[in-house]
Amino acid sequence: MTALHRIEAFAPPPQTAAPKAASPAHVGNGVTPLPLPLPLAQATAPGRWRRFWQSRGATTLMGALSIASVLLFWQLATHYKLDAYIRFNNIPTPAQVLEKVVEVNSSPKFVTNIGISVRRILLGFLVATALGVGLGLLVGRYRMVRGLVMPAMEVFRPIPAIAWVPMSIMLWPDNEVSIVFITFLGAFFPILLNTVHGVEAIDPVLLRAARTLGAKEASLLRHVVLPGALPHIFTGLAVGMGVAWVSLIAAEMISGQFGIGYFTWEAYSLISYAEIALGMITIGVLGLMCSGGIRLLAKLAMPWQAHSTGAR
Amino acid sequence: MDMTVASQGRVDVRDLHIRFDTKGQAFEAVRAANVHVRPGEFVSLIGPSGCGKSTLLNAVAGFLKPSGGQVLLDGQAVTGPGSDRGVVFQQYSLFPWMTVRANVEFGLKMKGTSRTERESQARTLLGLAGLLSFENHYPDQLSGGMKQRVGIVRALATSPQVLLMDEPFGALDSQTRVVMQEILTNMWQRLRISVLFITHDIDEAVFLSDRIYVMTARPGRIKAELAVPLPRPRTAAMTSAPEFAAMVKQIKGLIREESIAAMGGELTEGGLAGLCAEVGPRGVGQLV
Repeated sequence: MTALHRIEAFAPPPQTAAPKAASPAHVGNGVTPLPLPLPLAQATAPGRWRRFWQSRGATTLMGALSIASVLLFWQLATHYKLDAYIRFNNIPTPAQVLEKVVEVNSSPKFVTNIGISVRRILLGFLVATALGVGLGLLVGRYRMVRGLVMPAMEVFRPIPAIAWVPMSIMLWPDNEVSIVFITFLGAFFPILLNTVHGVEAIDPVLLRAARTLGAKEASLLRHVVLPGALPHIFTGLAVGMGVAWVSLIAAEMISGQFGIGYFTWEAYSLISYAEIALGMITIGVLGLMCSGGIRLLAKLAMPWQAHSTGAR
Repeated sequence: MDMTVASQGRVDVRDLHIRFDTKGQAFEAVRAANVHVRPGEFVSLIGPSGCGKSTLLNAVAGFLKPSGGQVLLDGQAVTGPGSDRGVVFQQYSLFPWMTVRANVEFGLKMKGTSRTERESQARTLLGLAGLLSFENHYPDQLSGGMKQRVGIVRALATSPQVLLMDEPFGALDSQTRVVMQEILTNMWQRLRISVLFITHDIDEAVFLSDRIYVMTARPGRIKAELAVPLPRPRTAAMTSAPEFAAMVKQIKGLIREESIAAMGGELTEGGLAGLCAEVGPRGVGQLV
């Protein structure tokens, strides 16, 4: 309260504040703002091209081109049954796969398989996030926790999640839990290690600043350590999500009943070529949606990152 | 109100020793330092780089435990960091994930001040610092000078008795720096808060301070204590006054000896003058 009354004179001379107010708009796009009398220079043809290439439309266009060329190659290679060491003789055409999409959606089986895989991913990933981030914060912050936890973790870390399949089936009471467990394992280590790294990367001066402002340990964890580690945590989540899908599909193929991995493997056993391709594409789309979801979450959770210098 | 404020904020550093023990190698940073800041006084600590002036400030802030001697705030021994001493860091140290206003509110939040009260206090302070229109910006969107204004406002929000400033303008360009010094001196004129200010910039120390302590090279001791004869309020015009120049010159002389000492005992006046011997066709080799 007292401070409020005492610093009327703290206002800076207005002429220094005004030009600075404008500067953040230029910062970060790598273009040095030109002095005022030259607005025409930017309207010339090369400038327009450059602006086009930097625009959102150009990115979308290039993306569409990229995907279209894959589809075109697929169409041509399968239509002409390309056989040059790699063989496209038995590979279904895009049209056949599209037909399959309609066919599998006439019964609820396909959608059920997708639903089951998504449920397994979400369960495994959420548990991995809760444990990985929670443990990672403690390991990164407290030497004793690190000393007690990390050696045990290092023993398990090099074992790929897929190698856990037989053990997992013995460990857990039913098949479903064991697949979720394998998914969890895939996601857990990247999340844990990145969280630890994120805590270590926090500038110690921020912790000091928080302490001089009266923050106690619990507040430090909640208001400084956690948000400070968030960028690394989200890196861990993105990597973890990728590994979780790898582990899930492998587990479903080996031990599974149901799930999109099982669907794809079953199609192979039944020599249903179009379904193999459909299964693969579905896995790709699901993986894409999951990592997109994480990117969206990251944006929502870290609004300050949009402005930070040198970010993305 | 000024009277009650001025009766608090006395800092006494008595016979302070600070030693570090890194990998079995003892290392003495501060030796037998005595520094006093009277309530409402602006005191600077100046010395060559690496002389332990920041270490001394860290002891006052409570980040370091003295190996010997005492640090007292209004007669009470300092045991750790606390919001009775606001700290302004050279690296700004704003929380990048908080908006400008959330940064300023942080100390009040830790005190348990209600949300509406926090908001109104923070907005008032930001308004006085000319930063209200940036309250919802993130630190990364601000210039260095603006960041440091937020840093100062944040340190003041909890109404500390003392402001500890560790080379706060060291990372700013020289023009911004001069403006920030004026802002700070104007602010202090009104606040009458005690300030302990660390710098290696002599002009800055003379312009801002009531008293200046000059430290020796490592291990840091107090080499001299000087009162600045310039009247208050300080204005930019005073920097061209003869008293100002004389004071700067005096301190420069004191620090020069220490800077040379800090760079290593073997450096001689000849070395400082550079290699001025005539170098013949056989090159530098013939000198030795």
